[in-house]
Amino acid sequence: MRHSEHEAKEIFRAYGIPVPAGVAIRTPGELAPHLGTFGDQVVLKAQVAVGGRGKAGGIMVTDTAQAVSQAESLFAKEIRGEPVREILAEERLEIGKEYFLSIAIDRSSRTPLLLFAESGGVEIEAIARERPESVRRMTVSPLLADIPPFALRDLLGGMAKEFAPIVSKLYRVFREKDAVLAEINPLVTTPKGIFAADAKLIIDDSALARQKLERGRAQTEREREAEAHGFSYVDLDGEIGVIGNGAGLTMATIDLIALYGGRAANFLDVGGGADRERVKHAVKLVASVPKVQVILVNLLGGITRCDEVAKGILEAGVGQKVMVRLAGTNEEEGRRLLASRGYTMFETMDEAVRAAVEAIR
Amino acid sequence: MIFADRFTEVIVTGATGNQGAFHIPLMNTYAREVGGKGVVAGVTPGKGGQSIHGIPVYNSIREALQEHDATASVVFVPAGAAMDSVMEAAYAGLELIVAITEQIPVHDTMKAIEYARLQGATVIGPNCPGLISPGECKLGIIPSHLATRGNVGVVSRSGTLTYEVIHELTRAGIGQSTVVGIGGDPVIGQTFSDVLARFEGDPGTKAVVLIGEVGGSLEEEGAASTDLPLVAYIAGVTAPPEKRMGHAGAIIEGGEGDARSKIRKLEGMGVTVADRPGEIPDLVRGFL
Repeated sequence: MRHSEHEAKEIFRAYGIPVPAGVAIRTPGELAPHLGTFGDQVVLKAQVAVGGRGKAGGIMVTDTAQAVSQAESLFAKEIRGEPVREILAEERLEIGKEYFLSIAIDRSSRTPLLLFAESGGVEIEAIARERPESVRRMTVSPLLADIPPFALRDLLGGMAKEFAPIVSKLYRVFREKDAVLAEINPLVTTPKGIFAADAKLIIDDSALARQKLERGRAQTEREREAEAHGFSYVDLDGEIGVIGNGAGLTMATIDLIALYGGRAANFLDVGGGADRERVKHAVKLVASVPKVQVILVNLLGGITRCDEVAKGILEAGVGQKVMVRLAGTNEEEGRRLLASRGYTMFETMDEAVRAAVEAIR
Repeated sequence: MIFADRFTEVIVTGATGNQGAFHIPLMNTYAREVGGKGVVAGVTPGKGGQSIHGIPVYNSIREALQEHDATASVVFVPAGAAMDSVMEAAYAGLELIVAITEQIPVHDTMKAIEYARLQGATVIGPNCPGLISPGECKLGIIPSHLATRGNVGVVSRSGTLTYEVIHELTRAGIGQSTVVGIGGDPVIGQTFSDVLARFEGDPGTKAVVLIGEVGGSLEEEGAASTDLPLVAYIAGVTAPPEKRMGHAGAIIEGGEGDARSKIRKLEGMGVTVADRPGEIPDLVRGFL
């Protein structure tokens, strides 16, 4: 779950990381009472979860006198397809130099990974590609509560004295908030000291319950409904509805549809124990996707009861054609039930996918 | 055959929960079929003295080890306590820990895996189906009737997609030495590289099928680490960026870990990459 910049900065502030004075607004009018706190100029930042926000016009620097009307024009914009629902208005920092600081999880070493570069901002990815040696890396044992001083010195080089406290505080945020990414880009020097000019904080989805958080707001209505049923669901934009069990098999099914020239409308993993009720809900949900013309059910498992799954599909009673690949126990009974109502059950994934793609043409 | 054999005695933790209670008899039915030891004890704190499907239940792994010579555990403990169970097993001296549980907070996983490593234990998973060596042993939930004994190793980040592939291999008359599901999380105990190193030391494995998916770069790192003949399949060619595709680890982040670039890198190393799962048996046959 990705926190907005505003939320991330509030959390950073609570951990003692300096952030610019600012206020989050949902309408231009909310800005007026705060204008006195900003000085001559205000920075307006659209709270959208897209990369390259600045280049796409999502950040405006304005004279405080014009701030409300400028906020109005920013609310009217879409940034890389995302509407602007919230703006963070901040004091304008007098930036000296920009740095890059990031804490992520390194899959290869299975530990937290610290990254630091003496250049920050939007170009960091290009810099990292062209001069990888300019980004310093340190892993930290997950068994240690804090980053050891030697690691801070190695990471920060000549900037250790100035930046070590901020790195340690960001590491506390990373650990205590169950983050998978805590990033400050850019970290800036100003006459008033060091500030986190931007903030990115992504929380582990598997830790949302103990962090008392809910999943991100970027979800669609259907994704929310699917979650209520315990399905993993992602909207795509084709015509073939897809239901599978297991993430890998469902992904492979979608890829196979593309390989045979079709397009999937969604990704739906019913999870383990695909029983009658769950399958019925899944079929109904996928049938409600507007573009779906055909539904492809691909379930494979040792313990999946094919007769029960077949009953679930029949009970859903949807208008679209349903192509079914089932392998498990009671296959014969499942096949018979489906055939009695005009559905076809296929033995292999290849056959089922090809039939679904053919049915669209 | 790698990691375990028919003589491996197994403790199931979370034995009295739904998952544990369901899978203990499946594992032991298989053990009886192949003449193996299977699950000898269960552990659930507070349920010591009970028995489940004829297996004694203990309050702790330490207690269980006073009565049994187990060297491995299979973890079905719910997410909030699963990594505690991994650390308990490592502390008690078990050599192999297979963590089936999914949705474990990744910070817990990092700590437990590092702890187990320092204790000298090997962790497979979490969020994995475990392993099966057909004709020898099953530690986990892979449906045994799909597998058949042979000389092809299978290592995969997925569960059901693994079943699909072994089902296809078996239908094509190609048996498996060991099938290992390493798990769909971003942080896992055994990576492709680790499992491939084991397969290299196994005279019973002639070629390996590697099943990967979007997210990270463990597939490329694994392929670069081995000289074994490899056939790879990567799921998620059509996965949209920044969307989590079911598995916690299956996400394309910052333009990295997409399937096409993985496939390009694998092919650049000379690995045979299948376009679809159904093609894998024919491609593997070329190496046997």
